[in-house]
Amino acid sequence: MPERQYRTDISAVDVLPQVRLVDVTKRFGQVLANDGISLSIMPGRIKALLGENGAGKSTLMAMLAGRFPPDGGHIEVEGRRVDFASPREAIAAGIGMVYQHFMLVENMTVAENVLLGQEGGFVLHPAAMRRQVGELAERFGLGIDPGARVGDLSMGERQRVEILKLLYRESRVLIFDEPTAVLTPVEAESLFAALRTMSGQGKAIVFISHKLEEVLSLADEIAILRKGRIEGEFLASDVASPAYLARRMVGRDVVLDIERSAVDQGRQVLDVRHLSGAGLDDVSFGLKRGEILAIVGVAGNGQQQLVEVVCGLSRPESGEVDILGQHWAKFFQNRDWKGALAWIPEDRAGLATCRGLNLTDNLLLTTRQGFAQGQWLERSRARGAATDIVREHNVQPGNIEAQAWQLSGGNLQKFVLGRELYREPRLMVAEQPTQGLDVSATEAVWQRLLEARKTAGVLLVTGDLTEALTLADRVAVMFRGRVMGLFPVTDAAQVERIGSLMAGLKD
Amino acid sequence: MSPELIVALLAAAVQAAAPILFATLGEMLSEKAGVLNLGVEGVMAIAAFAAFITCHATGSAVLGLLAGGFAGALLCGLHSLVCQVFLGNQVVSGLALTIFGVGLSNFLGTPYVGQGTNGFHQVALPLLSDIPVLGAIFFRQDSMVYLAYFAPVAVWFFLSRTSLGLGLRATGEMPAAAAAAGLNPQHLRALGVMSGGFLCGLGGAYLSLAHTHLWTTGLSGGRGWVAVALVIFAFWRPGRAVIGAFLFGGVMAFQLRLQASGTNVPSSLLLMLPYALTVIVLVFSAARAKYLKTGRSAAPAALGVNIEPEG
Amino acid sequence: MILQIRKREESLGWGVLVVYLGALALAFAVCAVLLALYGKPGLGGLLILFRGAFGQSYSLLDSLVKAIPIFLCSLGVALSFRMQIWNIGAEGQFALGAVGATFMALSFPGLPGFALMPLMFLAAMLAGGAWGLIPAVLRLKLGVSEIISSLMLNYIGILVLEFLVFGVWKDPASFGFPMTAEFASGGQIARMGPTLGLALGKLHWGLIACPLAGVAYSVFLSRTRLGFELAACGEGERVARYAQLPYGFLVLLVMGLGGALAGLAGSIETSAILGRLQPTVMAGYGYTAIVVAWLARLKPWPIAFTSFLLAALRVGVEVMELELQVPAAFGQIMEGGILLCVIAGQFFLSYSVSLKRPLPEADAVAKEERA
Repeated sequence: MPERQYRTDISAVDVLPQVRLVDVTKRFGQVLANDGISLSIMPGRIKALLGENGAGKSTLMAMLAGRFPPDGGHIEVEGRRVDFASPREAIAAGIGMVYQHFMLVENMTVAENVLLGQEGGFVLHPAAMRRQVGELAERFGLGIDPGARVGDLSMGERQRVEILKLLYRESRVLIFDEPTAVLTPVEAESLFAALRTMSGQGKAIVFISHKLEEVLSLADEIAILRKGRIEGEFLASDVASPAYLARRMVGRDVVLDIERSAVDQGRQVLDVRHLSGAGLDDVSFGLKRGEILAIVGVAGNGQQQLVEVVCGLSRPESGEVDILGQHWAKFFQNRDWKGALAWIPEDRAGLATCRGLNLTDNLLLTTRQGFAQGQWLERSRARGAATDIVREHNVQPGNIEAQAWQLSGGNLQKFVLGRELYREPRLMVAEQPTQGLDVSATEAVWQRLLEARKTAGVLLVTGDLTEALTLADRVAVMFRGRVMGLFPVTDAAQVERIGSLMAGLKD
Repeated sequence: MSPELIVALLAAAVQAAAPILFATLGEMLSEKAGVLNLGVEGVMAIAAFAAFITCHATGSAVLGLLAGGFAGALLCGLHSLVCQVFLGNQVVSGLALTIFGVGLSNFLGTPYVGQGTNGFHQVALPLLSDIPVLGAIFFRQDSMVYLAYFAPVAVWFFLSRTSLGLGLRATGEMPAAAAAAGLNPQHLRALGVMSGGFLCGLGGAYLSLAHTHLWTTGLSGGRGWVAVALVIFAFWRPGRAVIGAFLFGGVMAFQLRLQASGTNVPSSLLLMLPYALTVIVLVFSAARAKYLKTGRSAAPAALGVNIEPEG
Repeated sequence: MILQIRKREESLGWGVLVVYLGALALAFAVCAVLLALYGKPGLGGLLILFRGAFGQSYSLLDSLVKAIPIFLCSLGVALSFRMQIWNIGAEGQFALGAVGATFMALSFPGLPGFALMPLMFLAAMLAGGAWGLIPAVLRLKLGVSEIISSLMLNYIGILVLEFLVFGVWKDPASFGFPMTAEFASGGQIARMGPTLGLALGKLHWGLIACPLAGVAYSVFLSRTRLGFELAACGEGERVARYAQLPYGFLVLLVMGLGGALAGLAGSIETSAILGRLQPTVMAGYGYTAIVVAWLARLKPWPIAFTSFLLAALRVGVEVMELELQVPAAFGQIMEGGILLCVIAGQFFLSYSVSLKRPLPEADAVAKEERA
């Protein structure tokens, strides 16, 4: 592998920072999201902003994008102080953002999305628009059909549209929020190449990530954000190893050494044979009590469809699915609330809970059969159970009358986990259980999932390879609805190939 | 039925379709920007009165028309205020607007019941009106109908061929994307609602200035609700709105003719026709959408959802 | 100076009362202005309104009588609003209920009260319930907007009533006026006054339906499993799928029950107030019920209270009509205006607004130097 060329030739003192954050502070109610942050973003360099979720990265970027003003401190562009009253002003100042969740209108074409909000006269000419955007795409090597409907594009293609938007506006600072979250390893590599090209042309690039390997491979400079403050800032060339970064990120060796004790495996809880149809292609695997099977892959490759079949939302079109020894149809006909299946979905706020209901009612959501005598609901008993769960799982604030929307992501997830464990499931399906959670919440969730092995088999669907490799006994890689590989975590050779398998390469 | 009768019926259908078309296009603009406006009925009622009183006072039908349009825009501005600034539920706010608007229109108009005004009259277009059959149907109408011929084209052009229209559509699909692009989604929504209100107002003005030249209560007669249904029927496209409006115009004209001809069919049953047709039209659109199975809804994705404030 | 809007963490407590009173005051102020524009005394008109509504004991009784149908319809509307199903069809369901009851009364005039009354109520509730189920089925099977379909059914329902009253059910002895024959005594709800020996004006035994319905509503929502599932479904169909809530069944239930309640109201009004079926039985109670449900935030006691208030408003407007020759449409203006003001005011219950000043230049520089 060729040696990395670190750009240390540009001296930070001689060149004016493109953007400078000066002691920027932001509060949300009681939470101090950003605390006195000072940062310089230099042209022609790639800076990585490294930090856990909840460290304040998104807030910082939102202020740079002009969405809301800081409570303290200010922002400078090319040496002059700016106070953005709207995103329009930030864009005019040359700051361009590519969000983790793309800000694209699915029902409009690529050209329309790129030219949205741009000066260019009152009247539009669709053919001219398509030609313009096509030329821009070619110039930067971003292949895309300008007339295509964005809703029909893949994630990698949609990201290209977002980049085109910035290039069209001639943004001088390009900020990427978790850019590889939805890309295959191959697409990520081509993104990195494009970023290096743009940086070579003098653009200032900032990318936010929590993936240590990525950061080391791409960045010139690294800044670490922890609990709302800049914990440290250094050149990538000075960093010895990912472990060093990890330690700086959380203040201790977090490369998360979780206690994984061995657990005896028991009977079969899930048996999937040749499951096909609706985005799935001949999927087969089994799951026993006592083991965790991780399904990894880039989002959108059949994981959601698989989960919907296993959890009873959609019927298996062809193939067989046996849950706890029963055929799919029979199992979902008599759904016991206890001792059966529990599902922890990815969308904890919009699906797993009702935001406007309090915690007791949210407990009842999946356990109501256990608190009902015929039609009568034993609310007082439910309140007692909710209080127990809140205490046992350390859900903050400890008030069961609080409504779900008032809980932070981590606490809500702990509650959902507590609720589902209350049901004593024998098969547990957990989707992206620690997405958006801080380290302590992540650890808590991981511990519970490992404990759950004693009484259940756990199907873990995740895009986070670290999580999969830490928790699981076996790993299945999905690509376009097919299982590309299924192997134990101890098989180092296969584990090496996970990246290629995720991209559909079977050599 | 003799050919003369059919031609007369079709001509009456075109006339009856005009106010519905204006109202439908107005509601469409509002919904394309993401705001559901159920107050169209009230808006049309108020606009009808505003147009009447202005024409009555000044003698100018054109001024009356403009007054109707602006009254509509103003009332819809109220809806915009309640939903965008005060984050009110769009459904309930629209209903409140209907109750308020219809009440206000009847209240203010009480002293004028039965009085007449100048209004618009039939103007036969030279040359065009001499075309056999088509000339009699389309080109011997009053000026507002001719205006109605341009309206769908204007709305289509605005939405698909202008940058403002593009921004408005983006706001109706995903306000966050419009904001990220540097636009102001709240302003765009307000634009959609109020310009839509202006069009609805024109439709209302038509009712008191051209449809009849009198003032009575209950002039809007449920047309506002038909307009809301027609937007769904038209799959939010201006072109199809014309078909829907013409269909309703035809049924209303037919029903009137039948009543006037002294038929045996009880009037209550005849009066049911437009309302029953609205339900049928909705059922048809829904069934079509279902069986086409495109997986996409034609409705703007952010319709009915208020934009929450940030930070 | 910028306006900063934040979502409230804690409830306002007594502030809720302040917000509602403020909204009402604004609505009344606007109405006073409209009165003045019309050439009538603004404040004076409002005073007559209040006096007419609350001044005499008979006006309070009158309000109670009017509150009965409004309350029943409102409970039905609130049930479906809880699920975010917008049942606008109370008016039409009311009409169908009146029709159903009339059918029984005209078909079995010989039956004694204790047999005929239940039959009438049953028929009314079935008719109203069925009318409410139509939009529900259309929504479930085809995704048709229940707002428009239920609204259209309002118009159609009223026309059905008129069709029957002008047609087959017209009383030959009525000299061409649209009305049915008077119901037999077994089909008319009696007034409370004579039975109890008190002067109770037009107040009738139909009143009992209200506490019964109110308690049933309350118990259903807070104590039963279905009631809980209903509230959970209000969050949306996705959660319903996840938690396996019987969404479809609940849609049918709320629209059916809502229709039944409105139908019951229709039968009570027809039987107690008119004693026969006439188009004048339609007084817009179905629409007022929607206003009440929203103002009362779907809770039973506030619904009772607000029903009474809006009924009193109607009584007051009637007095204004008599004494000031103010058109009856003024009542609609008030209802619509109050609802608009309250919707706007409810914003302050969920959000707090404060003015913020960005740090002046000098302070910012001083802070930097310290850092």
